[in-house]
Amino acid sequence: MFGYIVINKPELKMKDFYKYRAYYCGLCRMLKARYGISAQFTLSYDMTFLIILLTSLYESESKHERKRCIVHPLKKHDFLQNEITAYAADMSIVLSYHHLLDNWRDEKSLSGLAGAKALKRACRKIEKKYPRQCKEIKENLRLLEECEKNNNNDIDTAARFFGQLMGGLFVYREDVWSESLRRLGFYLGKFIYIMDAYDDIEKDIKKGNYNPLKKYYKSSRFTQDTERMLTMMMAECSREFEKLPCLVDIDILRNILYEGVWTRFEKLRNSRINGEKSKEISLHG
Amino acid sequence: MKDPYKVLGVSPNASNDEIKKAYRELSRKYHPDSYVDNPLAGLAEEKFKEIQEAYEQIMRERESGSSSYNYSYGWSNTSTEQSQELTAVHNYLAAGRYYEALNALNAININERTARWYYYSAIANAGLGNNIVATEHAAQAVNMDPYNAEYQNLLNQLEWQSRRYQERRYGGTGYDGRYGRNNSSCGTGNLCCDILCADAICECMGGDLCSCI
Repeated sequence: MFGYIVINKPELKMKDFYKYRAYYCGLCRMLKARYGISAQFTLSYDMTFLIILLTSLYESESKHERKRCIVHPLKKHDFLQNEITAYAADMSIVLSYHHLLDNWRDEKSLSGLAGAKALKRACRKIEKKYPRQCKEIKENLRLLEECEKNNNNDIDTAARFFGQLMGGLFVYREDVWSESLRRLGFYLGKFIYIMDAYDDIEKDIKKGNYNPLKKYYKSSRFTQDTERMLTMMMAECSREFEKLPCLVDIDILRNILYEGVWTRFEKLRNSRINGEKSKEISLHG
Repeated sequence: MKDPYKVLGVSPNASNDEIKKAYRELSRKYHPDSYVDNPLAGLAEEKFKEIQEAYEQIMRERESGSSSYNYSYGWSNTSTEQSQELTAVHNYLAAGRYYEALNALNAININERTARWYYYSAIANAGLGNNIVATEHAAQAVNMDPYNAEYQNLLNQLEWQSRRYQERRYGGTGYDGRYGRNNSSCGTGNLCCDILCADAICECMGGDLCSCI
């Protein structure tokens, strides 16, 4: 479900790319420091986007370090961390606990991983710190599960729950920006949900799994229809974004919202047109 | 109500980025955190709120004229032919009660769903964030009654945001209305490329736009 909110690297300036990576590395480091090395699998580009967005909005002061790490043992890398990084780390754990951060193709059970118990414990602590977000995540997941069980084929209805989940996450604290952030997160969440459905459509049809895009699949205009729906979501999302007084890192944010999010879609579309099996794309950097 | 542009100290023609910058500078200056033990804290807080409101007002104003699903100024004098059920829906929509409106709409038999039914459904769904259904229903309303300007307007409103997004994606380097966007249709979006092309064409015709290329 995650990994669609990425940068379009070729279109990004070098300095912006390094800064983006610094936020990403900062999140990784924070996860390890707070929740142990096994927590690093909860790292995502999506939460990195959230960090950059909220940091830009609240102009949080970031701590900058240059260090080596296990993944990059030879060259020192930049790390940027601030209070938002901490928030994103906590949210990453919660999302992961609810089986959402599955970047892997085959379903691996969380309980098989070392530190699964620690994750549960960590989650409980986070629930006390952020009761509203955790409640919204749980509630919307429940509603989504129900919707899928009832085989509700309306794409807006199904996507809405994930939208609400993300919307709640994007509201860092209740203030003048809450409404805008909620809407931004809502439409981004819907985009992610639909994108995920598009990604999985062939597999779901074969296996008879739930997929609200099935009814569009029969049409010869399936790809165009999906693109149209995805565009609608990004249109609303970006409209909300442009209303926010974000100045810092605006190029990175716009790169993601206007270009980066289409990376996977375009790759899938092209490979499906060419009839080849869609390859695993390298999402790293 | 003070002129929001004056509050932020910008011209009404300022770009969105300039507005944001002005907001940033002023909100930093009057942020309550910087006035904690200061006797002027009360005044600063008032100014801070004023700046916030001014920013929101400007953003709202610049937005409208685009897709605001504010039903209160979308509606015509409803036809007397309208059923009781649809009148109820109309009232819910005017009050912004989209869930109730949808429930009332869904209670109406499928065979009785007119163009106006689809029109109202589009508005209700749009209000709830169901933009896909909203657009489909608006299109259906137009389909069923192609000469109704209201329905066409709603469809345009709903599609406008997507068009704007596409423009920003493909229309060139400027997201803020600067180079590349809303300019003439002949232009690659790349200044250097445009000059090269213009020079080449000029030379073809016997002239020379730029002597160094």
